Amino acid sequence: MFTSVMGLIVADNKKITLGELTGPRALSAVPFAGRYRIVDFMLSNMVNTGIKNVGVLTYNKYKSLMDHLGTGAPWSLDRKNDGLHILPPYVNSEATSVVGDEELAGIIDFLRTSRTTYVVVASSNVVLNTNFDEFIKAHQESGADISVMYNRDSNKCGSPCFILDTDEDDFIVDMLYNPERSTSNKCSLGIILLRRDLMIDIISRMMAHGDSHFGIHSFVKMYDEYRVRGFEYKGTALRINSVQTYFNASMALLDGSVRDNLFWSGESVYTKIKDEAPTLYFESSQVANSIVSDGCRIYGNVENSIIFRGVTVSKNTTVKNCVIMQSAHISENCHLENVILDKNAFVRPGVRLIGHPNYPVVIGKGAGI
Amino acid sequence: MAKLAVAMILAGGQGARLGVLTKKIAKPAVPFGSRYRIIDLPLSNCVNSGIETVGVLSQYQPLALNTYVGNGHPWDLDRHNAGAYILPPYQKTGKSDWYKGTANAIYQNKDFLDDCDPKYVVILSGDHIYKMDYSEMIEAHIRKGADATLAVIEVPWSEASRFGILNTKDDDVITEFVEKPAKPESNLASMGVYVFTWDVLRKALIEDEENPDSNNDFGMNIVPMLLASGKKLCAYRFSGYWKDVGTIASLWETNMDILDKPEDINLTDRSWRIYSRNPVKPSHFIGADANVVSSALTDGCRIHGTVIHSVLSDSVIVEKGAVVKDCVLFPGVTVKSGAHLERCIVDFGTVIGENVKAGPSVEGEGPYTNHKICSEGIVVIERGLKIKADSVIPGNSMIDSDVSVSDDQNVIEEVFRV
Repeated sequence: MFTSVMGLIVADNKKITLGELTGPRALSAVPFAGRYRIVDFMLSNMVNTGIKNVGVLTYNKYKSLMDHLGTGAPWSLDRKNDGLHILPPYVNSEATSVVGDEELAGIIDFLRTSRTTYVVVASSNVVLNTNFDEFIKAHQESGADISVMYNRDSNKCGSPCFILDTDEDDFIVDMLYNPERSTSNKCSLGIILLRRDLMIDIISRMMAHGDSHFGIHSFVKMYDEYRVRGFEYKGTALRINSVQTYFNASMALLDGSVRDNLFWSGESVYTKIKDEAPTLYFESSQVANSIVSDGCRIYGNVENSIIFRGVTVSKNTTVKNCVIMQSAHISENCHLENVILDKNAFVRPGVRLIGHPNYPVVIGKGAGI
Repeated sequence: MAKLAVAMILAGGQGARLGVLTKKIAKPAVPFGSRYRIIDLPLSNCVNSGIETVGVLSQYQPLALNTYVGNGHPWDLDRHNAGAYILPPYQKTGKSDWYKGTANAIYQNKDFLDDCDPKYVVILSGDHIYKMDYSEMIEAHIRKGADATLAVIEVPWSEASRFGILNTKDDDVITEFVEKPAKPESNLASMGVYVFTWDVLRKALIEDEENPDSNNDFGMNIVPMLLASGKKLCAYRFSGYWKDVGTIASLWETNMDILDKPEDINLTDRSWRIYSRNPVKPSHFIGADANVVSSALTDGCRIHGTVIHSVLSDSVIVEKGAVVKDCVLFPGVTVKSGAHLERCIVDFGTVIGENVKAGPSVEGEGPYTNHKICSEGIVVIERGLKIKADSVIPGNSMIDSDVSVSDDQNVIEEVFRV
């Protein structure tokens, strides 16, 4: 099917920080699942839907995101026509900072350059692997103005979250932000679909009213004015809105059905290519129930862990229930448990670091321990 | 546009000594070292040496190789006025021909080289595993004022009679080339890496083409012809890791070297990276009951059994209770539970059924025994096969779907396309 859809990814969320993990980078640039960044999943979903024009909306700390996305080649988005557009905060002399509408001005300009009928707008705090064909079809058939994807995860979706109340046809009648008591188990996944011209309309009105902030749920909130409909996503979706949920989502990958749904359901997840060597397991290594990426050298014990690319785990060292990010080095005689080790961290010999499964220790990027 | 140097990779040979592994693909496209194809090494060497125009001469079963090299993007060989060029033989007005020999393949592409207008041409073969800076070799070629420079490696004297040997005098000037000498006078073996001054090579190729008795081969014809005509040929000594992977035994051994001597080829050296086309698969998974030691693994593998001293390409599945030892498994191979593989090279996508036993520990000979291709107890299994459960395959077997075997001895349950 030919798709007349463009994509917009909101690469950061001012309400979500993952401690030291989002210190140097936007939320969507946080490494995930061994060889990916969070944004890879949504970008791949869009590309797998046939979307050829994707904007990535950034606020600040976008260097690492830009390094990662580059020209968009790994997602086949290095195109003459359309392709990948990074939309940093929009500042020019026309859009006066008095109104503070740079963010919206940037988006509206990007929307106007496209010729597609629809726009999919997605947040970056959810990891799922799907194409949007059914979502688009349901939107067209239901006669909705705006569709929002949700799943029935409300009991464990953490905060911030948006709970949707719907009528029997799944049209939204109410939306609650972080409610203390849920009246519904339908929790928004932060992915919406609407006509491009409608989105331009709505944003110009927001700008005329002096609004400055762009939020996906401002569109969902318009259920009084427009026909806003929910669409249930039944596959695996991992929400990431805190260090704890990041850790839980990582550990969920050790579940075979979660891995099958995210990686082996037929659609590929693309990411930046690093050309690492294969991973070498040495004679002393002992590895169980773990995800390991390319370019690692494993001499020690690894259990229930996610190991990113280019990691060294030395002899007589145990890594258990950990997330060890790219190029981290763990020396001999160490014991790490419930630890998230950011990129390029260096753990000297004999270090013991033990976090709690409900409160993992986070070691920042490039730290020496 | 004039270029300093252009590389030409001879990738058209069948590689018949690799048996079923090259039934459907040319030798340079054969997987190597978990993440790579053999051609990744010369291609990466070119880019790392600063040579950005690379002709890949393909002829035998070119589909997989051409698709793999593609536009050269994984090696940064998609450049303006440079990059990777697939050069198959083509029809001409008048006489058209397949590539008759290595020299003829270059001869048939002299228009391509004339367009590139290089000062020097580097001739490479697509079946060697090594890391080499060709720019240093070209500099030596220029410094010595040579017409041709041949890379050489010192081999043990006892093995010298297996190689093309170069006899040299002072300053490594070559006096003679002898193919597989019975009594070698030198232990400098030619590595099949040549630098020629293009003007000199161009004339030699034309002259060689006019000789109806010539085999149109670099080693056999071009080098002796240049020596006879008094050209200056120099040897360039190389001392790093270099392995010919032309036979099943050497392909297996070279894969094992990655595990036993990882520092020798050193694939992790960031200053001389070996690039490859990425399979786009998730990181590999080692299950709770798995046991993986002394092995190399890459993306997409899912291991629930035992993997000892083996090299696994992407997306290999080893089920619970299966044992894989001293094996080389190509992309997409599945080893079902209870299977026990030792010293096996299993080609793309083959499924090894439950409780199959294969390798040198299975004694005797069977209908698939093939001493011509296999040695040292190595078993080679063709791509896209389902091997029947409980099959027993002795060492030195080559499972080939084209071999006719009586029903009761046939180990192939199904042949599917991969």
